[in-house]
Amino acid sequence: MGTGLYDKAIHAVRYFLLRRLPTCKQMAPVMSESLERPLTPRERVTLKLHLWVCAWCVWYLENLRTMHSALRARAAHEEEAADEVESAVKLSEEARERIRRALAR
Amino acid sequence: MATSQVASTDASAAPSLWLERHGDYLYRYALFRLRDPASAEDAVQETLLAAFQAYEGFAGRGSERTWLTGILKHKIVDHFRRASRLTPASQLGDESLEHPELFRPAGNEWAEHWWDDKAPVDWKADPARLCEQAEFWEVFRACLSPLPERVASAFLLREVDGLESAEICEVFQITTNNLWVMLHRARAHLRRCLELNWFRPGLAKRLGR
Repeated sequence: MGTGLYDKAIHAVRYFLLRRLPTCKQMAPVMSESLERPLTPRERVTLKLHLWVCAWCVWYLENLRTMHSALRARAAHEEEAADEVESAVKLSEEARERIRRALAR
Repeated sequence: MATSQVASTDASAAPSLWLERHGDYLYRYALFRLRDPASAEDAVQETLLAAFQAYEGFAGRGSERTWLTGILKHKIVDHFRRASRLTPASQLGDESLEHPELFRPAGNEWAEHWWDDKAPVDWKADPARLCEQAEFWEVFRACLSPLPERVASAFLLREVDGLESAEICEVFQITTNNLWVMLHRARAHLRRCLELNWFRPGLAKRLGR
């Protein structure tokens, strides 16, 4: 019974926040910019509250971070890994020959 | 006398092997960032020529590949700088890249919130594993292609090479605000495209559907 009331109260608070806070569409650029610059205190609080009530935006930000980490990981291992991971991508014979001639000049 | 002769034959032997040893690697590196085979080939050629001329400066410090990569990085940024001088109009892309169709329209009770069935999902992905999968990078490349040249390039310089915002703005002759809009659009589009073409199919497979 007690938990039921508690849940109801939480639900009401979330509903109220979701109604009052900036929308998901408005939060998307803020989430991107959070990877670029320190957010203002106001933006920080708004984002925190929005993420508390909106699981979808939690995944949105998480997805952006996953893309970022995958790209950074690629950059970090490029020198050793590129030959194995994308061995199909090669200089064409013509390009190779052209470069060879340019170097011989 | 004898030693200097040995040193100079070594020096002339090494550069001729660069194309064989590092050509494909340099090409892959350039192609990922420039996304155009002809420009990538040019960048490799310019890099090897510059390396040839600067070989004395290298003198065996560190790995050859790292040294060549450093030169290539500059050639790539030079390419972007030249390209953005040729097309001075600021290319920010348009709002369609932000996929407004994923949000409920005005008039809906929850306008501008995600539609349930189009909302972001948990990718359950490990970035370290992703980066080892060639198929993932194929999908990634395909997802980059609808982005305007400058938007994709700025995104890659920022996310892959970790260039500072100020440097990217200088290369493309844009303001910081422009850059943020471009990065937001690139991320929004890539996120949606990867979710549809890589992550959702992957999740379905793992659940045995």
